[in-house]
Amino acid sequence: MVSEEYRGARKWSRNKQAVATVIWISFLAASVATMLFFAVFDPTELIATLNVDIDIGVQTGYALGFFFFWIISAGCSAVTAWLVRTAPKRDTIHR
Amino acid sequence: MSKAAQTDQPRAAALYESAKKIYPREINGRFATLSKLATYALLGLFYAVPWLMWDGRQAFLFDLPARKFHLLGLTLWPQDFIYLAWLLMIAAFLLFFITALAGRLWCGFACPQTVWTEAFIWMEQLTEGTRSQRMKLDKAPWSLSKLRRKGSKQFLWIMFSLWTGFTFVGYFMPIRQLGVDILAINVGGWTLFWGLFYAFATYGNAGYMREQVCKYMCPYARFQSAMFDRDTLIISYDEGRGEPRGGRKRSVDRQKEGLGDCIDCTLCVQVCPTGIDIRDGLQYDCIACAACIDACDSVMDKMDYPRGLVRYTTEHAMEGKTSRILRPRMYVYAALLTVLMSALITSLVTRTPVILDVIRDRNTLYRELPGDVIENSYTVKIINQSNDARNFRLSVAGVPGLTLDGAAEVTVGGGDILSQPVRARTHRDNAYGIMNITFSVTATDDESVIVIEDSRFLGPTP
Repeated sequence: MVSEEYRGARKWSRNKQAVATVIWISFLAASVATMLFFAVFDPTELIATLNVDIDIGVQTGYALGFFFFWIISAGCSAVTAWLVRTAPKRDTIHR
Repeated sequence: MSKAAQTDQPRAAALYESAKKIYPREINGRFATLSKLATYALLGLFYAVPWLMWDGRQAFLFDLPARKFHLLGLTLWPQDFIYLAWLLMIAAFLLFFITALAGRLWCGFACPQTVWTEAFIWMEQLTEGTRSQRMKLDKAPWSLSKLRRKGSKQFLWIMFSLWTGFTFVGYFMPIRQLGVDILAINVGGWTLFWGLFYAFATYGNAGYMREQVCKYMCPYARFQSAMFDRDTLIISYDEGRGEPRGGRKRSVDRQKEGLGDCIDCTLCVQVCPTGIDIRDGLQYDCIACAACIDACDSVMDKMDYPRGLVRYTTEHAMEGKTSRILRPRMYVYAALLTVLMSALITSLVTRTPVILDVIRDRNTLYRELPGDVIENSYTVKIINQSNDARNFRLSVAGVPGLTLDGAAEVTVGGGDILSQPVRARTHRDNAYGIMNITFSVTATDDESVIVIEDSRFLGPTP
């Protein structure tokens, strides 16, 4: 048997796992969404159609788009993770 | 794979209970050399590619503000997005193909997480020493020498991370200019933000999160077993040969003592970057870096036992059956890859670097001009996707006697979009109801560069 000294796998708490997973997967989703979205729409043209008199520039446009998608997908992932984890475990009684 | 992992649940659970930091032990050997080579090659590519030049501009530049991607001599526009999607699909199938063939080769040798972690561990060894030195250092109370070692590690890590962030941003804006801007402390807010963002992600992922990313955050690590079959290359401990394990002197006759080949030196566990014991069976925490093979081989050499107690093998081979490389799923993946790749290459080679868009003026159906002439108005959009200015000849066909009024030959700058109002005319005798016509645009310097677009010509209905 391997002595405990060598057994070294760190274990993240379930909350830490959930937070890290939600952030990371929604980051990936937001990256894909940003790519798809801005392949079709030019941020400067998009702002022009809004009829607002601000010039935020193309870089800010991309960044805002990315964070918009990230927040939306992170929110969705977080709620999903929370619902899955807090679901009533009725099934175990009937089994 | 999952079955093996499940049967080992109780032992695996015991393994997790200790919430200790992993101190992977340094190792030399065939696979460690291979892994180092892969790290040098991949990191070398990442850091060198933005500096390459092509025709006086950066060879690989994803110019987001200008909305065009430069890849060597090729320039891609948002309209070419399909190529990028196609390329990603090829990459995905290539990954499936390699996974089915050789298991988690990607995880162990090519994944950025692994490669950057490798680099960070190397810096850790440089400043904090070997595995046992690092463990001792972490247990020791704070001292000047500990501060110096930890401080220099942090310094190296942070510098390397910042350089990584700089390189990353250098893929999206000209890196030489970016370097000059940084030296002059004249960097835009978002540029700085993304550089630091990527630097921080590198620092956190490769410095601290490491194997936890593979265990808890990586989707590929979870689903890769779906691509596995019993002929997939895996790293496995030969239980039949190794058990019963136990310590012994080199001179001891293991047959007489009833011992297997495993001397329980635990080196395979010490070198493991994810902190597992390969002897517990196949586990999904295993990223197949093959460090345990090197460790075990070195011990087998010392003991004068044959190598390969831990080795690359397949489940079929472990059961004493023959493993086949060529099997149905390999043919399917290979066929799909061939089709996808040849389609991409064909379409790239035959790609016409011009896009034509014709919009009919919706305000009027048609106009009657003096001399019994019927006229329709259009807006023609020509996108020149090449990098140089080009002359295009515009023509129209489909109705007898149809001619164009307005510039028949136009110049469009490299990468520019030209929007041009044109009028098509024909004699009243030829125009009748709704008629299909075609616009075509031809590059005057190369007749093969031609695009045709359908439209309609409206005439009076009696």
